[in-house]
Amino acid sequence: MEEKYLICEDSLEGIFTGIYEAYALREDHKNIHLQVGEEDNFRLFASYIRVAADGEKAAKVAGTICRRLGEGTYLDICRALASEDKEKGEAIYKTVLGGLKMKNGSQVMGNLADRHVHKVFELARRTRNEVHHWKEFLRFQELESGILYSKIGPENNVVTFLAPHFADRLPLYDFIIYDEKRGIFVVHPKSKEWYLVTDRDFDEEEIGDYSEREMEYQELFTFFCHKIAIKERKNLKLQRNMLPLRFQEYMVEFGL
Amino acid sequence: MFFKATEEMGIKEKLGILTDAAKYDVACTSSGVDRRGDGTGIGNTEKGGICHSFSADGRCISLLKILFTNECIYDCKYCINRKSNDVPRASFTPDEVCELTMGFYKRNYIEGLFLSSGILYHPDFTMELIYQTIYKLRTEHRFQGYIHVKAIPGADPVLIQKTGYLADRMSVNLELPTAESLKRLAPNKHRKNILAPMRQIQNGIQENKNELVLYRKAPHFVPAGQSTQMIVGATRENDYQLMMVAESLYQKFGLKRVFYSAFVNVNEDKDLPALPGGPPLLREHRLYQADWLLRYYGFQAQELLSEERPNFNVLLDPKADWALRHLELFPVEVNRADYQLLLRIPGVGVKSAQRIVRARRNGTLKFEDLKKIGVVLKRALYFITCGGRMMYHTKIEEDYITRNLISVKEKLPFDKDGITYRQLSLFDDVNFQQFSQTGS
Repeated sequence: MEEKYLICEDSLEGIFTGIYEAYALREDHKNIHLQVGEEDNFRLFASYIRVAADGEKAAKVAGTICRRLGEGTYLDICRALASEDKEKGEAIYKTVLGGLKMKNGSQVMGNLADRHVHKVFELARRTRNEVHHWKEFLRFQELESGILYSKIGPENNVVTFLAPHFADRLPLYDFIIYDEKRGIFVVHPKSKEWYLVTDRDFDEEEIGDYSEREMEYQELFTFFCHKIAIKERKNLKLQRNMLPLRFQEYMVEFGL
Repeated sequence: MFFKATEEMGIKEKLGILTDAAKYDVACTSSGVDRRGDGTGIGNTEKGGICHSFSADGRCISLLKILFTNECIYDCKYCINRKSNDVPRASFTPDEVCELTMGFYKRNYIEGLFLSSGILYHPDFTMELIYQTIYKLRTEHRFQGYIHVKAIPGADPVLIQKTGYLADRMSVNLELPTAESLKRLAPNKHRKNILAPMRQIQNGIQENKNELVLYRKAPHFVPAGQSTQMIVGATRENDYQLMMVAESLYQKFGLKRVFYSAFVNVNEDKDLPALPGGPPLLREHRLYQADWLLRYYGFQAQELLSEERPNFNVLLDPKADWALRHLELFPVEVNRADYQLLLRIPGVGVKSAQRIVRARRNGTLKFEDLKKIGVVLKRALYFITCGGRMMYHTKIEEDYITRNLISVKEKLPFDKDGITYRQLSLFDDVNFQQFSQTGS
């Protein structure tokens, strides 16, 4: 039997449409694979089918996952989708497949002995951990306009996971979180809903100057961090383990 | 002499002095309460807590941890702020504390405020200042982030009660595990004055729970619970005494956390021990490990230590140490053992035990599955079977396993504490290479 590869766009819509099409083929799922983005190493005895993302089909798949596999599984899948891993599409597809075969689909993420489930679990965990790290280490800087501005460089696509947290926390503030690796950003206008911007270039020049008090606060916090350390317990290795260097470049207290 | 009237001092200078003075208090967690913002102000809290930075000693910075004032009428011998010390003194105003908290919080530097204080004039006067400050923060600034404040021993219970309705967590430091040590090192503090507010907060939390059952919108009293702290190594108590005290604080006072603070000798008083090797960090680490076992693993203090064995093993963590003294219970079959027993296996934590219970519903687990789940096999392998088989052919014998466990270097958060890795390497001749050749 010929192997079939469905090539999908790297997005929730793209991958969910891929899953929809995989079912629509009505063939043995063993021979169907889901692939994210372009293949650079085609196999000889396989056919490749390009799948165009389709909002309606994707919504059906999302609905089925929520209903049959539960909200928790759906969220884990969303987290796995935020990963940059090339094999996430296949892992998610096969996890959904396995879950739908189970009597109680909401238990699917517990089946860690399955390699696809384990993959989704791993990717979701990595995203969840990174989201948590940015909740900790992200810093806002106050601009002259009063907007709080933050720049991050995450490994996974986490801005949409961060936005609800900060929107709840800072409802009366205008803020922007800019993902410089993907060129996308989240905007939260005060007392309104936040939204994601993916189709506009972000120009750092545009944000203008920092507010008058911004440097003062950065200096105060840096001073605080310095003062709170107990010199008899100095342990820079532990500090680095707890706070990896890749975050430090975005943190004001390490910049001064 | 260095002295400036507080009014003339800049905010940065005050922050320096009052942070310096607060840093020996170890509690910096922002955990225990989940609260969404109500949209009218600023802030929320997360159950698990959020650390925002790490200082050069590797400790987490979660809250703006400061003293309101480091003026103090007491003369506790271990404390840098004792009355008889000649150190620069400063006091904040409530507005200054609010401004710093708000400025730091909106920039995501901190999760909230940890406000402690020296005793200025009188416990009531001090408690009133703390209350005023967080009242302003909660009402004028609509701050809904995390607040941890000290209940000042000896303060009017009414003030403590009022403060408890504004704070998320309150703490009263026990400081020293026995009344006798307290008397010797903190002559102005009395054990019953420390336990009284602790009991009051405990009762307040309990009554509040009942109120909340009746009326869901009743105000919350200390929703994240109370904690305390003991200094380790300033006095002669052994680990067994410390753990027994901790256990009874959890059981009888319903505490959320007991913190242990390795003694740092800042005062060179004749009643204090000289610590040429630095603060007893390994001991502190073992106490935290054991504390975890009490709170999450279903252990009792008396299972871990006894009058005859009053101190923790420096070479092994308390759980491995316990397992080695109870080899008759092992090996445990991972596919069948109940959750409580899984928790007792060295190398299996709370998360991996939960995952094992979930995963084995879908079929028999193999060693490779355990690895995926997060079990530390190089520690667990002596204590478990999977499908009736051990991972390698190993002897179940105390000396043999001890040697092997010690040769797997324990991950300690520090490496310069009396016992170094180099000393441990005495045992390095037995290693795992042998197993992979002869085993399975």
